[in-house]
Amino acid sequence: MVETSVRITGMGAISAAGNTIPETLATFEREQRNAGPVTRFPTKLNYPVFEVKNLPSRYYLEGQRTLSLALIAVDQALAEAGLGDVSGLRIGVCMGTTVASQLNDLQFYTSYRECKEAPMIAVDRFLKGNLAEVISRKLKVRGPALTVVNACSSGTDAIGVALSWLKSGLCDIALAGGADELNHVPYCGFGSLGIVNPGLCAPFDRDRKGLNLGEGAGVVVLEKMTSARKRGRSSKLVLLGYGSSSDAYHLTAPSPDGVGLKASLRTALDEAGIKPEEVGFVNAHGTGTNDNDLVEGNTLAGMFGKDLKMLSTKGYTGHTLGAAGGLEAVFTALGLREGWIPASAGFSNQDAAIALAPVREKTKVGGYYAISTSLAFGGNNAALVIGRGVRE
Amino acid sequence: MNVLGIGAVFAGGVGIKSFEEALVEGWQKPVDVEAKWAAGGKYPVYQANLDDVPYKTILKKIRRADRLSKMAVLGAADAIKDCGIGNINATNVGVIVATAFGAHVTTFGFLDNIIDFGETAVSPTIFSNSVHNAAASYVSSSLEIKGPTLTITQFRFSFQSALQLALVWLQQKRCDYVLAGAVDQIGDVLCYVANRKLTTAKDGRIRPFVFKPTYQVPGEGAIFYILGREKTEKTYCTVQSVMINDNTSQGAGTDITIIDADGMLPDESAYLACADSGALLAAYSPLFGTTMTGSAFNVAAGALMLSKQRYYPNPVHDNPQGLRILINSGPAHIASIECIGYDCQSKRAAVRLIAV
Repeated sequence: MVETSVRITGMGAISAAGNTIPETLATFEREQRNAGPVTRFPTKLNYPVFEVKNLPSRYYLEGQRTLSLALIAVDQALAEAGLGDVSGLRIGVCMGTTVASQLNDLQFYTSYRECKEAPMIAVDRFLKGNLAEVISRKLKVRGPALTVVNACSSGTDAIGVALSWLKSGLCDIALAGGADELNHVPYCGFGSLGIVNPGLCAPFDRDRKGLNLGEGAGVVVLEKMTSARKRGRSSKLVLLGYGSSSDAYHLTAPSPDGVGLKASLRTALDEAGIKPEEVGFVNAHGTGTNDNDLVEGNTLAGMFGKDLKMLSTKGYTGHTLGAAGGLEAVFTALGLREGWIPASAGFSNQDAAIALAPVREKTKVGGYYAISTSLAFGGNNAALVIGRGVRE
Repeated sequence: MNVLGIGAVFAGGVGIKSFEEALVEGWQKPVDVEAKWAAGGKYPVYQANLDDVPYKTILKKIRRADRLSKMAVLGAADAIKDCGIGNINATNVGVIVATAFGAHVTTFGFLDNIIDFGETAVSPTIFSNSVHNAAASYVSSSLEIKGPTLTITQFRFSFQSALQLALVWLQQKRCDYVLAGAVDQIGDVLCYVANRKLTTAKDGRIRPFVFKPTYQVPGEGAIFYILGREKTEKTYCTVQSVMINDNTSQGAGTDITIIDADGMLPDESAYLACADSGALLAAYSPLFGTTMTGSAFNVAAGALMLSKQRYYPNPVHDNPQGLRILINSGPAHIASIECIGYDCQSKRAAVRLIAV
């Protein structure tokens, strides 16, 4: 029996794959990869990136691009959920990010270094830019507000935290997901780690050479069934389970045996009350780095079998860091809703060391359940089980 | 949810015993650090004292970690040691690390790299340590904890949010125990910002009951808690509730109210409402400094008072409003303590602790 207590009643997504969900689906169908050189800041590095283009001007916030992206996704999700004025409602806000959590304004810091004095505008932006706090305040909602900074699993963990809140009764509705802008500092940082692809990323491919950075935001509206019913809304999409586990292994490399990912998947499946063989497809973290794809691919193959339908959407969005979990949860839910998943962009040749290959073309998916996974810097692993609740 | 162990890293040293000693001894002057922008080239701070740290093996494991991560790991290790539960890391222990500014000092170090050496010659080690969840990662890897590990960052109620989530995780049996805590670091730039935006106490003395005008002295440190569903012999107290932005609890029936007033806000008069309940008022920020995660220290003071059944007097007694503040030390009969924080919009967080 499908657990129907927490529904996904709204979704919003913005990334290089599209500024809206319909645009994103069209990009997926065309297998279009909107990568290019960095235009957001001056750089001598030549790694291609997946930038969001044509940000609607009404969302433009000077020096707060991550917040702009988040607000776009939030508004899309609220609109789809049919939620207009939400002030005073018991709505929790849980958002994942990386860039918005850091005071890494080069101009401010350079000025400080040079004259030991710096204008406070960058500091004010930072102090007033905590994602969950701003969104909660802007919407004037009652309910917990939390910004999760779990690196690349931030968005997935944020959605998992929101699921816990709803189940505990801390709120009736939750807005959850992740947002991150393309930023100069992580661009240099990932470059220094030697895991950025000078070409386009190729998740799970034999010849993969690393990741591409991207930006965007993905947000879901999670709602107790009772709340949705009261509003006369329904949705077949259900958030069924969340698992999170630490490798306790290394700051930047995943545990080779995938111990943390396995534990996360088991926890998420247990909470959902389903077995691995019931999972229709997995939207993998699939960054295109050697270590991630090797560990993740083999862990998924071990748990779900070699015939699992699996993909990485990072070939369309790049690695959007704190936004990735939010975006990929939305894409996973879309796969269930639409009944198809796109080709895993960038994949050509199976790696003999990975016992599983992603889908090479637009693929029909059946079944009631799908999983979205995240493996993060720091050894965090997280998984969400999303269902299409037609069996009730 | 029960408080089973507490670990502390602060200006008074490492260990909950050091914190308890500081509560008994009272106010100590902060240290002066060099600051080129400050009048006289010196600036007062409550800098964590990491001298004579007992956890040498753990420190060796994390030798590449930055100061923030080291403080977090030391606080976490100390909480585990304090709880006395053998092989706790063989159970499903969740980790929640709350912070306001995270690894900002290391982030500025990485910006130094970009400015000084260019984009292609930056240090991957510095970058790795600058990522916000590096501290939590060091906690889980050095202490071999494999449960859910989460880092949260808030400028308001960061620690209370961590505590609230720990309560939910334990209720939902996502973990057997939760290692939840807060960590924040001070550095040159943050001191500069604090000095620009707030009023610094020139004599180094935070006066939590003056409310307006307020005076701050930046502080840093880490406090971690082992939290569990079941009580142990060591149990300090029970966390009865954590309420954020919910004014239903107004301290009724509380013996002591500990307030987070620390000079972080230019006007802290909202705390005057805490006097209405008739409870004794306490504030311990003068021991650890002004920090957005200071509530974690105040909750530790509350847990210690409930556990030891003794009063710890306010370290600074300035009390122009004539409020009923805690000035006595010694044995006490304390059933409950509420720890209250207000943010700049007068939103409130309350952690209610009760005796075992």
